[in-house]
Amino acid sequence: MQPHVSLTIDGALVRASRAKSVLDVALEYGICIPHLCHLPHISDLGACRLCIVEHVEDGRSKVTTSCTLGVQEGMVIRTNTDRIRALRRNIAELLVAEAPNSRAIQDIAVRCGVQRVRYPFRNKDCVLCGRCVRVCAEMWDARAIGFVGRGKDRRVDFPFGIRPSFCKQCQSCVQLCPMTMPPCDGPMEPGQERLCGKCEAQLLAAERAPDSCTWCELGVGFDCARYH
Amino acid sequence: MPRLAGIRDLADLGASLRTERERAGATITVCGETGCEASGSRAVIEALQSEVRSQGLEQRVHVRVTGCLGFCEQGPIVIVEPGSIFYCRVNAHDAAEIVGATTREGEAVERLLYTDPMSGGKLRTLSQIPFYRLQDRTLLALNPEVDPRYITDYIAVGGYSALAKVLGEYSPESVVREITRSGLRGRGGGGFPTGRKWAACRAAPDDEKYVICNADEGDPGAYMDRSLLEGNPHLVLEGMLIGAWAIGAQQGYIYVRREYPSAFAHARTAVEQAREFGLLGDYVLGSSLCFDVEVARGGGAFVCGESTALIASLEGKVGEPRPKDVHTVEQGLWNKPTTLNNVETWANVPLIMERGAAWFSQKGTKGSTGTKIFALTGQVRNTGLVEVPMGTPLRTIVFDIGGGAVAGAAIKAVQTGGPSGGCLPVDKFDLPVDFDTLAQAGSMVGSGGMVVMDEHTCMVDVAKYFLTFLQDESCGKWVPCRIGIDRMLEIVTDITQGRGRPEQLPLLEDLADTVRETSLCALGKTAPNPVLSTLRYFRAEYEAHIVEHRCPAGVCRSLIEYSIDPERCTGCGTCLSVCPHGAISGDRKAPHAIDPSACQRCGICAAECSSEAVVLR
Repeated sequence: MQPHVSLTIDGALVRASRAKSVLDVALEYGICIPHLCHLPHISDLGACRLCIVEHVEDGRSKVTTSCTLGVQEGMVIRTNTDRIRALRRNIAELLVAEAPNSRAIQDIAVRCGVQRVRYPFRNKDCVLCGRCVRVCAEMWDARAIGFVGRGKDRRVDFPFGIRPSFCKQCQSCVQLCPMTMPPCDGPMEPGQERLCGKCEAQLLAAERAPDSCTWCELGVGFDCARYH
Repeated sequence: MPRLAGIRDLADLGASLRTERERAGATITVCGETGCEASGSRAVIEALQSEVRSQGLEQRVHVRVTGCLGFCEQGPIVIVEPGSIFYCRVNAHDAAEIVGATTREGEAVERLLYTDPMSGGKLRTLSQIPFYRLQDRTLLALNPEVDPRYITDYIAVGGYSALAKVLGEYSPESVVREITRSGLRGRGGGGFPTGRKWAACRAAPDDEKYVICNADEGDPGAYMDRSLLEGNPHLVLEGMLIGAWAIGAQQGYIYVRREYPSAFAHARTAVEQAREFGLLGDYVLGSSLCFDVEVARGGGAFVCGESTALIASLEGKVGEPRPKDVHTVEQGLWNKPTTLNNVETWANVPLIMERGAAWFSQKGTKGSTGTKIFALTGQVRNTGLVEVPMGTPLRTIVFDIGGGAVAGAAIKAVQTGGPSGGCLPVDKFDLPVDFDTLAQAGSMVGSGGMVVMDEHTCMVDVAKYFLTFLQDESCGKWVPCRIGIDRMLEIVTDITQGRGRPEQLPLLEDLADTVRETSLCALGKTAPNPVLSTLRYFRAEYEAHIVEHRCPAGVCRSLIEYSIDPERCTGCGTCLSVCPHGAISGDRKAPHAIDPSACQRCGICAAECSSEAVVLR
């Protein structure tokens, strides 16, 4: 089996090693795909669904997350079509309405072109991206935290709600949490939540959602994989 | 019982069981399934058995407890052979009369016969009843003949002969070809061609393969799979054996929903007996097929009906779907090639192999072959299990077989396919029920649930009900499904409580589209269907809620008001005494009045008023 495959992302023919995901390869080639739950060196969950792309197969295009999609020979991927932009914007809008008190999520909303939020804000502390759970299990082999409950009751917790002795308090979970950095103007009080949108100037004025990576500062808040 | 060592043994056993059956006298068949049990069939069974014993008729009359006979509305059901006399709504104290009539040839208990609602006359046999006459009962045909707890009953009616035929005459490849040619499509909801799935799994390069039977049926109002597995578990098992032969699997699992205790018990008994008879285990019927089955129980999660979540649950992990860029036919259970089919799909397999692909594909339509079982429930006269060829118009199912609406209210819509399906209005009732047509109309065949709704059903409330169900049952792993459904429910709740705004309708559609496109599993992808289909066909109801603050069906409590018509009110005081909230006042013999601020809109007064003076607005 050949170690490398060639695939087309947004019309560019790229070469990638076989084991990689489409998201990894795209970022490597400077093609910007917004993402939140993805972390380098950690398995991908596909929870936030921001990194959706169109995968064109036999003339039919399927929307799927690029982080969980392994590269294959001759794949055709489109990351920045109108359809994908609209869907991504709607997902970012859901996220920012859920947890506006995070620089990371505000940044993503701006990056995905959210201009107004059509839902009442909720000000939650967690969007269940699962970074903490996966880093604890995969980096430290500790499994001190995990997902508990189903559907709307799903949350991250210690086993039976008690911190176990095998939690080394290494703080990896805290460091990687997208909710730890408050918005630039400071935390928003309940009832005062809003779409920040100040960083819009950082994006190129010509295009609201650039397809090539501009090394924008918007990635700082969520530890954009481009920085690794 | 010795193991059946070969195909010949099976044929001999079948023949001897058949002669034994013919020699036996009359048979009284009682439905012992969940539906009839709820209407008291267990007492009927005990009464019949003790009656037969006390009259000393054990040699002449046999009482057989079977799985679902379909006409659940009329339960408990008793069928007497010879003569196929059909009794409905039988009570324990009817036992003596039934046994008595059975011993006298040709006699029936008139008052227990089914009354034809059209002519008012009594119908004597099952085949005369319109509910059964218009059906094509193929999968369910054996249910009245078989006591699911005994493998011998199944072998007596020709059971496992399809397996014998396959093992004797077919190569695995030719089984896959035959199934492909039959055009069988997955009955669990997706409608994926079964032959293609099998071929892909067969081609997957691995020695270890699995087959799974998905009996985690969870759609509200659907119970086809339960009835099949409870009523005829060996048919499903035989299908799995043939599937294992075709694919090259060594191990199978039946994953039964936790809430189906008797389906689980029957499946387990069936597996044990099949093992005893040498129909499971090493070298089945002397062939090279080595295959065993285990019965596993779910934990009560709807999402485990989704294939990858079911596999995770079987592996002992949390029952959550996983990304499906690699198909389960390549990497399924324990990362081995796995074929997962629904109960009904497996049950079709022996029939196809026995009677041929051509026989199967001549039923139904071009794209959707064979018959399909539907669970007809809701505001319809004849609730029960209906098996019809694919492509039968909805009108035939709801009005001709279902007998139309209960109590004169006009039927407004039918909800097909459970929470993943949609609502179709009455003017779409001429649509043939097949996979492609219903999908085009914004609904789906799904697993086969059909909930009939009449004019007292508010469609916004229906959408709200399904969203609440899905919000509870979503695994919550992914953003669009977890937050998206939650937000849709928030909007729909706003609408039903009179806080709706006109701009929320396009938002609802936009959000529904996002959830459909970006969700990972079929549960999320189809979750918006109840909203989208009601919005498509009943937009006027949504608008009435938003613009006029009125619920046309009188269901949404925030938008309705009860008042008393002083001209009709006789002042009898009934409403005053039944109102649990003390909202009604008035002197005796004088018109009463409802205090709208105290009224909780429970509707008890309206139901109790004999002069129909309580008006709903």
